[in-house]
Amino acid sequence: MTAARLLIGAAGLVMAGWGVRLLLALDLPDLAGTVLWLAGGVLLHDVLLAPAVALAGALLVRLLPGPERVPVLVGAVVLGTLTLAVLPVLGRFGAKPDDPYLLARPYLVSWLALAGIVVAGCAAAAVVRHRAARRP
Amino acid sequence: MRPPRLPRETDFGSRLRGPEVAARVGLWLGICFLVAFLTGLYSHAHQDQPAWLTLPTRPVWTYRVTQGLHYLSGVACVPLLLVKLFAVYPRLFAWPDRTQWRDLRRMAVHALERGSIALLVAASLFQLATGIANAAQWYPWSFSFRATHYAVAWVAVGALALHVAVKLPLLRDLLRRPLDDDPAAHPTGLSRRGLLVTTYAAAGLVVVSVAGNAVPWLRRVSVFSLHDVPDGGIPINTSARRAGVTAAATDASYALRLVGPGGELRLTRAELTALPQHRETLPIACVEGWSASGEWSGVRLRDLVSLVGAPPGASVRVGSLQQAGPFRESEVRGNVVDDPLTLVALGLDGEALSLDHGFPCRLVAPGRPGVLQTKWLAEIEVLT
Repeated sequence: MTAARLLIGAAGLVMAGWGVRLLLALDLPDLAGTVLWLAGGVLLHDVLLAPAVALAGALLVRLLPGPERVPVLVGAVVLGTLTLAVLPVLGRFGAKPDDPYLLARPYLVSWLALAGIVVAGCAAAAVVRHRAARRP
Repeated sequence: MRPPRLPRETDFGSRLRGPEVAARVGLWLGICFLVAFLTGLYSHAHQDQPAWLTLPTRPVWTYRVTQGLHYLSGVACVPLLLVKLFAVYPRLFAWPDRTQWRDLRRMAVHALERGSIALLVAASLFQLATGIANAAQWYPWSFSFRATHYAVAWVAVGALALHVAVKLPLLRDLLRRPLDDDPAAHPTGLSRRGLLVTTYAAAGLVVVSVAGNAVPWLRRVSVFSLHDVPDGGIPINTSARRAGVTAAATDASYALRLVGPGGELRLTRAELTALPQHRETLPIACVEGWSASGEWSGVRLRDLVSLVGAPPGASVRVGSLQQAGPFRESEVRGNVVDDPLTLVALGLDGEALSLDHGFPCRLVAPGRPGVLQTKWLAEIEVLT
């Protein structure tokens, strides 16, 4: 166990060091941009996204104290992570005027349909749970 | 009213946060990272092939499958990473207590661990954000995508290995202990198991919703597929117009220039068509995660270079009509040149090659990255 840990740790140090070396070999504007994006991602998550999620969670607990909270949470996790993962496609930021087949699907309509299905499913489950909990 | 203060680890009351969820989601996240890293390395080896390395041309789908896996494992990481960070977020506010401040050695260890975690989180978010934007052909940055995505991959996997080394005993312990505490104590909330199942379901849904360009039979349900070519045709990353080759490619005086130890030869498209023709079904696969199969027809590259006296096993350099761009030319290793499936293609799916697919002729080789399947060929030079 200890030997395995030491081995994995040493390999990690070497690999991370190699990565840093590759980064330092970039020219200065590229390196500055990369560092900006590395730090920006952490800040965006730690200062914006995570507190927003914590706040939303606290609100949800207060607004929905009963068992109907579970489907709402499930729906929020699925829809929230999916939306973040397909954001560049949804926004069609990379569309090119001379490629009619690139980013050509009705992504917003699909997202709305998907969101509708998730919301409807979660709402139905919430109603069922709410009723079941009130039954004596 | 109390004055505002920074949050503490204990402020986060949710049972869903904590090591039980983090360990399990982290395990899958680690597996996905490893798959993405290895398949990424494979692609990098193709594009920056060291002299000592020979990469196989068979099976013909090696590049297609590895790069599909690369893209999909990366996309699956989005829900996994977000939930993992949710589970461990309170740790960010685990301030060392006053007694520890005086113990320099413990402070140094603490700072080191914090530093490696910061590096891991930064590199992970960077890889997912840049990879997903790149796959959607969106470049909201000024740095070179390939060089940075490659360098940060090493940082991410290195920091991950360090993290695993530090946490290994804890991880083993956590995976053996039950996931949920007494559910009767929390009758109304989501259980940890519930959060895990939700996370895996979200990862699966994300993968299916974008997989259509890598997995053909998912095309219809994959609503966020990037390319939508009619009849399952082959997408185009760089059009003739964007490459600036339209005039040169349609010029009546076009001839493919062959250079080798046996001399120099110029072949017009009509002369190329008069040579023995072969039909092969080969995929075009891009590192961005899409791939598509086509029936290519044309002359074997091996037959062509034999005309200028290339010995068996000789590597060649193929150059495009493109004046600039990183993929203006590429090197084709001897084992690829000698593979009978490697064609200088003149037609695709029963029709003459279209301008955007590389007219007058292009390279198509088995198991090769799309960006190295050089289009609008101008010259083929035997390397000695």
